[in-house]
Amino acid sequence: MADATLTGPATVPPIRRTSTMIFLAALAVFVLLVTLLADAGMISTSTVKLLGKTLCLALAAVAMDVVWGYTGILSLGHMAFFGLGGYAIGMWLMWARTEAIVLADMAARTLPPTPSELQDAIGSQIFGVVGTSDIPMIWTFAHSLPLQLAMVVLVPGLLALVFGWLAFRSRVAGVYLSILTQAMTLALSLYLFQNDSGLRGNNGLSGLQNIPGFETTSQATISIAFFWGSALALGLGYLLFAWVVSGRMGSVLRAVRDDEARVRFLGYHVESFKLFAFTLTAIVTGIAGALYYPQAGIINPNEIAPVASIYLAVWVAIGGRGRLYGAAIGAIVVSLLSNWFTSGGAPDIDLGIYEIRWTEWWLVLLGVSFICVTLFAPQGLGGLFDLLSARRRSGRRASYGPDTGAKRPEEGAE
Amino acid sequence: MLRLLLALAITLIVAPAAAQDDLQAILQTHAEEVANPGRRSVGALIDDLLASDLPSVPVFLDAWQDREVVRDSRDGRFFIAGDEEDGVVTLLDIANGDEIGTAPEAALEEVRPNGGVRRVIGGALVQFRLSDPDPRARQRALASIARRPDADQIDPLRASIEEEDDAGILAEKERLLNILVARFGATTEDRIAAIEALAGEINPDARAALSEILRTEDRVVPAGEATDGNVAGTLSLPRAEAYGRLVDAELAPPGVSPAEIRDTLLANVEAGAVAGTRLADLDTDTARHAAYERLSETGRAAPFVSDEEIDAAIAAHSFEAVFLEEDEAVIDAARATLGSVERQVALNRAADLGLDALSLASIYFLAAIGLAITFGVMGVINMAHGEFIMMGAYTGYVVQQFVPDYTLSLVIALPLAFIVAAAAGVAMERLVIRHLYHRPLETLLATFGISIALQQLAKNIFGTQARPLTSPDWLGGQLVVNELVSISYIRIAIFVLALAFLGLLLFILNRTRLGLEVRAVTQNPGMAASMGIDPDRINMMTFALGSGIAGIAGVAIGLYAQVTSEMGANYIVQSFMTVVVGGVGNVWGTLAGAGLIGVLQKLIEGMNPSNTLAAQTYMILFIILFIQFRPRGIVALRGRAAEG
Repeated sequence: MADATLTGPATVPPIRRTSTMIFLAALAVFVLLVTLLADAGMISTSTVKLLGKTLCLALAAVAMDVVWGYTGILSLGHMAFFGLGGYAIGMWLMWARTEAIVLADMAARTLPPTPSELQDAIGSQIFGVVGTSDIPMIWTFAHSLPLQLAMVVLVPGLLALVFGWLAFRSRVAGVYLSILTQAMTLALSLYLFQNDSGLRGNNGLSGLQNIPGFETTSQATISIAFFWGSALALGLGYLLFAWVVSGRMGSVLRAVRDDEARVRFLGYHVESFKLFAFTLTAIVTGIAGALYYPQAGIINPNEIAPVASIYLAVWVAIGGRGRLYGAAIGAIVVSLLSNWFTSGGAPDIDLGIYEIRWTEWWLVLLGVSFICVTLFAPQGLGGLFDLLSARRRSGRRASYGPDTGAKRPEEGAE
Repeated sequence: MLRLLLALAITLIVAPAAAQDDLQAILQTHAEEVANPGRRSVGALIDDLLASDLPSVPVFLDAWQDREVVRDSRDGRFFIAGDEEDGVVTLLDIANGDEIGTAPEAALEEVRPNGGVRRVIGGALVQFRLSDPDPRARQRALASIARRPDADQIDPLRASIEEEDDAGILAEKERLLNILVARFGATTEDRIAAIEALAGEINPDARAALSEILRTEDRVVPAGEATDGNVAGTLSLPRAEAYGRLVDAELAPPGVSPAEIRDTLLANVEAGAVAGTRLADLDTDTARHAAYERLSETGRAAPFVSDEEIDAAIAAHSFEAVFLEEDEAVIDAARATLGSVERQVALNRAADLGLDALSLASIYFLAAIGLAITFGVMGVINMAHGEFIMMGAYTGYVVQQFVPDYTLSLVIALPLAFIVAAAAGVAMERLVIRHLYHRPLETLLATFGISIALQQLAKNIFGTQARPLTSPDWLGGQLVVNELVSISYIRIAIFVLALAFLGLLLFILNRTRLGLEVRAVTQNPGMAASMGIDPDRINMMTFALGSGIAGIAGVAIGLYAQVTSEMGANYIVQSFMTVVVGGVGNVWGTLAGAGLIGVLQKLIEGMNPSNTLAAQTYMILFIILFIQFRPRGIVALRGRAAEG
């Protein structure tokens, strides 16, 4: 394996270990706090759901950071994997719930239903909105939770594997790759918008917040359970990626980001490393999506429109790319702020001649602050922690490498 | 009807009074035929009426056909019945519809010609209308024949052709005559000649007539037996459909559907069981079938038809389509002609699709060329490019609010849109992009920030609803080549605009100092700078040019689509793909990319017109695959410039 040729000890920078510990500890404290507050009734179920969803987005952002901040591939299609994960779990949720409803409905009949009658009833329940009752092929495994959980991993993973293999093999890189990934997510969302795509067209899958088998459990309990699940997934995902980006693997990934050609000349199979990073992050993003949508309750093709993936990149950029905690913080801060502003939580400002209503002006503010971050604070929010830890900017004057995705001196920190 | 008659009457009021007496006199000589017309006897009367050449004849025929003519039994004269009130009917003159008196209802006999007679009257009327002095009336008559073609119309139509002096209507009449003769002609030779004359007609009437001749009827015959009639072909039907037809033809017993089985079982529940099987055990199809079979053995249900029996029944019959037309020679001629007509239609459809593709390609070219220039020179992707398109469109809208004359406002809006968008582009370049050189991915995201801010600003200023950008009258309407090929003038204008910009850009890039410098910076900025070119200035100029063209594209797009804050976003991904497919930094590349994407999208839509979403999906998939083979686009830069 190429790794063996890497000289020097594969030391893990201590800051990374410390930062990982601090992040996980902060996450644990946060989870405990939210649980206690929710128990005491201080925060509502919908807030718990919002926080749980935000943690899922943070996990997707961390994955995005690995693929962009560490490997230098600006994927503008990672939310497609997020959505696919959501669709995969949503199919089971919808199927199992509909089955339960149909069974309850048929239990009153004199004749017990045959399997084919059951299928027909479920089919017309689910697909009635798109004018058919036939169950499409892709729902073959929808009755089984384990199989559908496997789909959560396999579908985004396989799509990323095939797409990445095609793209990296022909050395599509830089902005070309970004646009290609954008085209992929656009094609997927357009495909899903069709009624005969088998996933209910623009109706999407709904009622996902009702977990089959837990009909009697209150939404408050379910939301806390999902919040814990999301936090656990974020913690595990963070650990996984911290491990991936440390050590020799991480060094190669960063080297690919900074100067792909040189790494290739050194004898590494660059495509494999890129494909590994792309596929692994796609899988984790899919899992994040599978945890997100049961909390959101509904998924439709709009969720994987190209703009969603750009927002994911925006979160990472604002949080500070190239540091995992930065991505998580960026996603949490921006998506919570966005929620606060758009839901009318922010007080309107009366300027006398014009009243600034934040529901209208939030996107302008986001756009402008995003430009400012890119221009004046390339290290993002994560850069603030450098001040705290009194870490100096690296002494490098020159760029990290000639590649378009490479870091620049002003982004600093390794 | 009455109102129409009155209107007609007013036009006829100048007719000499004597004429009315003449008409009444003719009717009186044939009084029996008028009052009690028979299909055979009515001919002489019609001939007399036609021979009289009176202008009032069609008025009478019309009323007669509509069963509005009455006969006063006291003196035997004929009138048109008017309004009835308390048993007293107003009498209208048969020649001009004037009120000329009243009569008690009891004294009037209604004249009710039967269907055959009315058809004869109709034929005579058609002749009048076909030779009406007003060409529009003649066209209306032709249209009504085309709607309801009929054998009786052949003779009047043929008669009217001789007197026709309008060339357009004459051609129309001859075409219609061919259609009628093809379907209803007396002899095989006549019909075949008429059918062959229809070759090359792409008109739907002609196609409908031909396919009417070729209409088939589905028949079920026992396998191996010959059908009488001209067999068009054997049908292969899906199983359920085939058996359904056998059942309809009473050639097989009706099958038992699962729902019927269930209902029968439910109807025979005895003490929690059906035919000895407990209800709880009837939860599979096999168990239900078994129970049903036992029921049918005891005669409590119709016999069960098994899958094997169904298959055997289907195999024992063949399903054939048989021509309704009996004349084989006519069928062959019609088939051959329809083939050639269909080729003609396909050719025309392709031409129409080609025009659509061309106009789509010119839109993509206009939208993408600015992006291609800035991308080529500076290596940055401008996500806010779509918002420059939007700015241009809103500029056009705002100008229209102040300048009510649409032509003038368009003349003002085009350069103004260029200036507004170019100014915005320069501002963006100076304030943001200049600081992000060598960081193309960050530029992409920063311009995305600008894009969402501009979009929301437009929404705040102009609201979320679509704003109209009205095109001047001379751009309204379509250029119609024939029934199948047409293109709206706006699309032609956009095509011309795209051509103009193609020429302009080629001129600027290849023939001016600025173009030379732009090309130099595109190829190697460092070397260009060392040759005394200021890359900073060139970047600014190209950005102004690229954004300005986007502004003009916005006006053009706004003219046929609506102006919304999201219109730019709708074009941005397509523009990217145009640039990427075409190859960066090259006008010809963008042209090739726009052409490929435009043609491809229309081609896929043409194959599956009902589903534009699918067309777009397949097109994007194609582009993703295309990039595999030509990662640098159709027209790739060579040499060092390609490395950047």
